[in-house]
Amino acid sequence: MGKTRKRWLLFAVTVAAVAAAAGTAYGGGKTSKALPVIVDGTTGTVVNIDPANQYDYDSFTVDLNMYEGLYGFPNGAKLTPVLATGCSHSKNLKTWTCGLRKNVKFSDGTPMTSADVKYSFDRVQKIKGDQGIWTLLSDLVSTDAPSKYQVVFHLKDPFSIWPYILSTNAGYVVEKAKYPADKILANTDVKNLVGTGPYSLTKFTPGQQAVFTPNKYYWGAKPKNGGLIINYYTKSSTMKLALEQGNLDMAFQTFTPTEIAAMKKESALTVHSAPGVVIRYLVFNVKRPPYNNIHVRKAIAYLFPRQTIASRVYHGTVSPLYSMVPKGLPGANQAYKKLYGGKPNLAKAKAEMKKAHVKTPLKIQIWWTPSHYGDASADEYTEIQRALNASKLFKVTLKSSEWTQYSGALGKTYGAFQLGWFPDYPDADDYTVSFYQPKSFYNNGYANKTMNKLIANERAAGTNKARYAALGAMQNLAAKTLPTIPYWQGNMIAVGRSNVKGIDSTLDATYYMRFWLVSK
Amino acid sequence: MTGTSLRTYLITRLALVVPMVLILLTLVFLLMRVAPGNPIQAALGGHVPESVVKPIEHRLGFDKPLLTQYGDYLWDILRGNFGTTITDNRPLSQIIKQNGAATLELTFFAMLIAIVVGVVVGLVAGRYRDTWLDVGGRMFGIVVYATPPFFLGLLAQLVFGVWLGWLPTSDQASPLTQALLKTHTNILFVDAIWDGDWGALWDVTKHLILPATTLGLITAGVFVRLVRVNVIRTMRDDYIEAARARGIAERRVVFSHAFKNALVPVITVVGLNLALLLGGAVLTETTFNWPGIGHELVLYLENRDYAGVQGIIVVFALVVVAVSVIVDFINAYVDPRIRY
Repeated sequence: MGKTRKRWLLFAVTVAAVAAAAGTAYGGGKTSKALPVIVDGTTGTVVNIDPANQYDYDSFTVDLNMYEGLYGFPNGAKLTPVLATGCSHSKNLKTWTCGLRKNVKFSDGTPMTSADVKYSFDRVQKIKGDQGIWTLLSDLVSTDAPSKYQVVFHLKDPFSIWPYILSTNAGYVVEKAKYPADKILANTDVKNLVGTGPYSLTKFTPGQQAVFTPNKYYWGAKPKNGGLIINYYTKSSTMKLALEQGNLDMAFQTFTPTEIAAMKKESALTVHSAPGVVIRYLVFNVKRPPYNNIHVRKAIAYLFPRQTIASRVYHGTVSPLYSMVPKGLPGANQAYKKLYGGKPNLAKAKAEMKKAHVKTPLKIQIWWTPSHYGDASADEYTEIQRALNASKLFKVTLKSSEWTQYSGALGKTYGAFQLGWFPDYPDADDYTVSFYQPKSFYNNGYANKTMNKLIANERAAGTNKARYAALGAMQNLAAKTLPTIPYWQGNMIAVGRSNVKGIDSTLDATYYMRFWLVSK
Repeated sequence: MTGTSLRTYLITRLALVVPMVLILLTLVFLLMRVAPGNPIQAALGGHVPESVVKPIEHRLGFDKPLLTQYGDYLWDILRGNFGTTITDNRPLSQIIKQNGAATLELTFFAMLIAIVVGVVVGLVAGRYRDTWLDVGGRMFGIVVYATPPFFLGLLAQLVFGVWLGWLPTSDQASPLTQALLKTHTNILFVDAIWDGDWGALWDVTKHLILPATTLGLITAGVFVRLVRVNVIRTMRDDYIEAARARGIAERRVVFSHAFKNALVPVITVVGLNLALLLGGAVLTETTFNWPGIGHELVLYLENRDYAGVQGIIVVFALVVVAVSVIVDFINAYVDPRIRY
């Protein structure tokens, strides 16, 4: 016993000595005086930070702090020049010439010139990363840098929305000396991942944390906080607890509707909300029976329970949507509301089914996917089934499959199916052309000559007025021909501790979380 | 005794590892392939055209015949190349190093708690057999063993995090501590000591308490029952009677003789319970947002990242196989009756 005790004592003394030595050698306990740092929580996953292969919202939220494009949305939903002083276009909208700001430096102090801009665009096109962001530049033939502060873009076709493309991360400017021309930088390579944005990334631990400090060379207004930490969570319930305990200052993306409803009642927290740009919609394969019958599609449109879904399933965290273009974006209209009313209309649905010449109740299948769009999808589709069955015009069978199978099938296999959309750029173009062009990604067989003409007109429109007129006509035609039924628009929701300020100033139709506006 | 030597036993045991690992790798490979759908399309959000999906399938070898894929897969694993995840392009080697360290930290402290709690409660229950202490100890053992770790974790979060506000309910450390702490080993507890950052060490320790206790208690349940039975059996042994007959004080008989011998089988069970601990770690890590390998497994499962899931399962399986072999070696060394 005595020997054992001595051994333990020796062990304890050794451990203490080693620890003390380590403490002395590395300067002892360090604390940061950098205040106030904002700590944000998210359930997102970062795929790629390097903008040349970044095409998802969670990675974009990281990139938004570090990178900038020639255009952007730094102060709200209005597109404005950022690294450019402005762009002009040729009469045919195929050549765009942009002047650059002269006082811009990357976060390592290197000045930004047109060579960096040209290099960034060439790099995205050369790498053709597997996330597919390069597809946004598929219209770009070449980029020239005729002088130190001027770039010229040569496009294949007239492209009225080119400045919007310049605002996406396909157009984020990276430093020529830091980024390899043919390779994506690893997410942990923080020394080389430099941009011109308000912050620089100082540490990235995959799946755990991203740490940002203010970019001391930033050309614009300095952030209203001393830095930013984004903490990543697997479960929103754990994130909610961390927020309630004060370990997080705010959390953005994504709580369940029930959690949001519960947090609204907590005095220490404030739930901030504004109309967002995430939408859900039902797609019809217009070639497949019975959905190839326009009257069947119209009857469903008349019965669609938007309000019930918004209130009962999502507790008011989403709003009913009456066009594929969400409310808040310039050019959005209420085409479906005009045609089919704000609330379900049984009499009109009956009339349409009469015109359809089908036996009622008509047996139909509707497909949805259980986890990809959140747990509420099950309740959402049960509500749709209930509403259609209650009309006695339909007998709905709900079918579901997991996203791996579902995403590959869509219109190739299913007649009616659930989908969601988050935009590549916050403009009505992205909510129309993507869905109504002849070979859409969801293979629903929709092809309409008038629609194709409207798309061409919109892309070649010389003025905003002409462009929005084309976009309005596209939405009206879509409501009439019904390749899809849009039904809700998600709100942009962030929850902050009561002492956190500035969250509301970043909630708008762009769905951009501008952390540099947040303070405490 | 069957007559075979320890060396023969060891060689046979090692030889059996090969088919065991091969069957395991084959099962993982096949399960991933028979699942319906296109993992690449799904991982990229379903909105990308075929022209984007095809080159990725080609790069990952998903367009090759199944047998060729199987051959490539085995060859890669043999070279220690576990692949790269689809959804966030992380090499599995990075996940093993980074998240494996977090799992190691958690399981080490969980095992420590399991041994301390399991042995103490088991010894007391065995020593005071059929008293209320024994009944309480047995009840405790059954309850903690039978309770799913996520439920125990949620209860702990609710009581110690929400109601009492004593302990943090998630993460390895506070965000600021984690941001400022230099990475040396990826084990924050060690990194904090390494830097002599006692504030960080305290913070890391506070964050460890709930997840390590939750995970440790599951295993403690096994130890409680095992130690109790051993103590009861040992207390009946002749040498204990002999010690008493020689007039040795009861306290010394119990502590120096009975308890010491009752604890021998626990050593082997500790190794065997590693698999249980790793299984529990998946749920515990998810409940406490502990960034270990189990946490990553759930994440990749939810994102339908087959490459990530496949790699992590293989790593888990290889660890369990390695530990079971080591435990068998120790058993065979300690107990000459164990032979083929």
